[in-house]
Amino acid sequence: MLYFVGQVLPYIAGAIFLIGVIYRVAGWLKAPVPFQLTLFPAPTGGAGRVAAVGTELILFKSLYKNDKNLWLWAWVLHVSLAMVIGGHIVGIYFLMNQFTLIGMSSSASQATSAFLGTVSGIALLVALIVLFYRRLANPEVKKLSDPADYIDLLFVLVIALTGNHMRLPGVHVDLPAVKAFMGNLLTFSPTPIPDDPIFIAHFTTVMLFMIYFPFSKMLHFAGFLVNRAMLVEAAPVYPTPAGTPLRSPFAGAKAPVADSGQAKGVQA
Amino acid sequence: MKIPLHMAKEKDLQSAGLVAVPEKEQQQALLKGIDEYRHWARSIMVMLETCTKCGACANACHSYLGTGDFNNIPAARADLFRKIYKRYFTWTGKTIGRYIGAEDYDAETLAKWVTYFYQCNECRRCAVYCPFGIDTAEITIAARSIMSAIGVVPRFMTGVAANMIKTGNNMGIPKPATIDCCEFMEDEMREETGLEIKIPVDKPDSDILYIPSSADFFSNVDTMIGVAKFFHAIGANWTIPSTVLEAANFGLLFNNDAMKEQNQRMRDAAKMVGAKLVVQGECGHGWRAAKMYTEGSNGPAPFGIVHILDYAYQHLGKLKFEKLPWRVSLHDPCNYARAGDIIEQPREILKACVTEFVEMTPNRERNFCCGGGSGILMDEMMDIRMQLGKKKAEQVKELLPLDFLATPCSICKAQMPHVMKHYGMEDLKMGGVMDVVGKAIVLA
Repeated sequence: MLYFVGQVLPYIAGAIFLIGVIYRVAGWLKAPVPFQLTLFPAPTGGAGRVAAVGTELILFKSLYKNDKNLWLWAWVLHVSLAMVIGGHIVGIYFLMNQFTLIGMSSSASQATSAFLGTVSGIALLVALIVLFYRRLANPEVKKLSDPADYIDLLFVLVIALTGNHMRLPGVHVDLPAVKAFMGNLLTFSPTPIPDDPIFIAHFTTVMLFMIYFPFSKMLHFAGFLVNRAMLVEAAPVYPTPAGTPLRSPFAGAKAPVADSGQAKGVQA
Repeated sequence: MKIPLHMAKEKDLQSAGLVAVPEKEQQQALLKGIDEYRHWARSIMVMLETCTKCGACANACHSYLGTGDFNNIPAARADLFRKIYKRYFTWTGKTIGRYIGAEDYDAETLAKWVTYFYQCNECRRCAVYCPFGIDTAEITIAARSIMSAIGVVPRFMTGVAANMIKTGNNMGIPKPATIDCCEFMEDEMREETGLEIKIPVDKPDSDILYIPSSADFFSNVDTMIGVAKFFHAIGANWTIPSTVLEAANFGLLFNNDAMKEQNQRMRDAAKMVGAKLVVQGECGHGWRAAKMYTEGSNGPAPFGIVHILDYAYQHLGKLKFEKLPWRVSLHDPCNYARAGDIIEQPREILKACVTEFVEMTPNRERNFCCGGGSGILMDEMMDIRMQLGKKKAEQVKELLPLDFLATPCSICKAQMPHVMKHYGMEDLKMGGVMDVVGKAIVLA
């Protein structure tokens, strides 16, 4: 069983995650955008468009001007999630010594890493609980929600709980062993999973979540980018510059023949 | 809540070039329509699959705020489409449908679609406030187009389409009446100014093709007069086309093929008179259709396309005005501000023409729709139209007293007087921005 969880499941989960996400996003991108959906006032120039989508991505600007309360918790959720994911990558790779790269001592780096990890982990947990509560407490949102909307939150909540568990005082996780295990997984020479029930629980829920991910609304991160890209597209210019390709087969098809009125109009 | 919309019968459909699908084949036909549409336009799949049901759109939508009907929350409205889409076109919807909110097509599906996709004004305000920028207008446009292709469409829409086919405008004005009307307006202007200001119809070798709203020949004559005076002032070589005497393009509001066809009329008319520039009159969605849909509908266009308010703004320095002693505000038509990039131009024009210009709150791309947008102008919908106009009325009320409210879009011009009357402001004078130009301009 541990063999399966530690040395087989990660590859199944990774493959489903990657293929699933690519398959769904590719499915969207295959369809043309027959008309510019520019939402005005629109940014101009490539840099302006990147900046507009970037501020939406990083600051959730549209949500901020709409609902400050929801904005706060959604923003805390996503920022702490980004911190946690980033922390996993550098923290495990450098064994919490990543801040020595900016001149800290090894012990200061480990303390900073532990502090940031703990704060982010708790912020994530609190934001998840608040947003779960909001889904139940706001009658409009409750009526809008599907079972999957609750499960999505609970799924991440379980991951955050098992992750935070490892940070409780008195709980010790053998980080070098985790690093070695992860490194071997990523270099396709899997070794047995460290025999620590809390870590195994955390790791397993993450693997299950990766399998769940491409079938779920978690893909909203990709939807955000594809959708925002449509909204900031440059508006058409007339006369159409020479060499502009047809946007879609629809533009190339002949318009249905406008009948009587059109034909008679001018001669009448 | 069922809405009292009159639906097209077989005869109405025929007159608009549409056909009805027998009831027992409707499900199959609707699903086929959805399947084709999702491969036809990227927005549908992305927007349907991205919503996280956060509910942030609820307070952004005047339709929900005005009616209080849950299904008028943009996310809920889109969900009527999403539930069917998921059930028949996603793996999870086919297997664990209930879990992700998928739903079988049933006897109620089409009725719900008609009810709620015809309470959406396609104003795009939800797209401004949604964290993902999900634009429920896209879903509504798709749903209406798919429904009309199987013969489910309001009689109002087929009536407009039939007029368009017969006469080239929504009102059904034949060419002789157009010419009469132009002569009448020329007489009016001669009496007022003593000048020979022409409104040329189908004049060959014109540089500018001006496409007015057909309503400017009935109820909004002052808009057409303002435009004629403006063109006279700048010495333009212009004409209006009798073949497409219509800036509106109702195809955008119920059927994409009809939209494409009408767009082709504009191209043909421009070619016929040799115009290098098409100037669009005061019509909100028609401007969106012209600016944003011309290239996508029929490919490259060899002429420029500009809105009359943008064009007038470009020439503002050359015009002379005697400022009207009025307190004026501007209602931003949705399809100008959010969908057509006409935001500052009407403001600058009004400031040049009147002594006091005040903003309503919110304004520009955050403005609320008048409640008539997307062609919800049916008489039988009057009660609902008044609910859809509730936010607008509240906005205007805060600004009183006003001498004039500029509503530079034919649909706004048709809807707003009803709304103002309903909410106790029947004395408020309203009209286009070009109406004000016509009254303030000083002609040599």
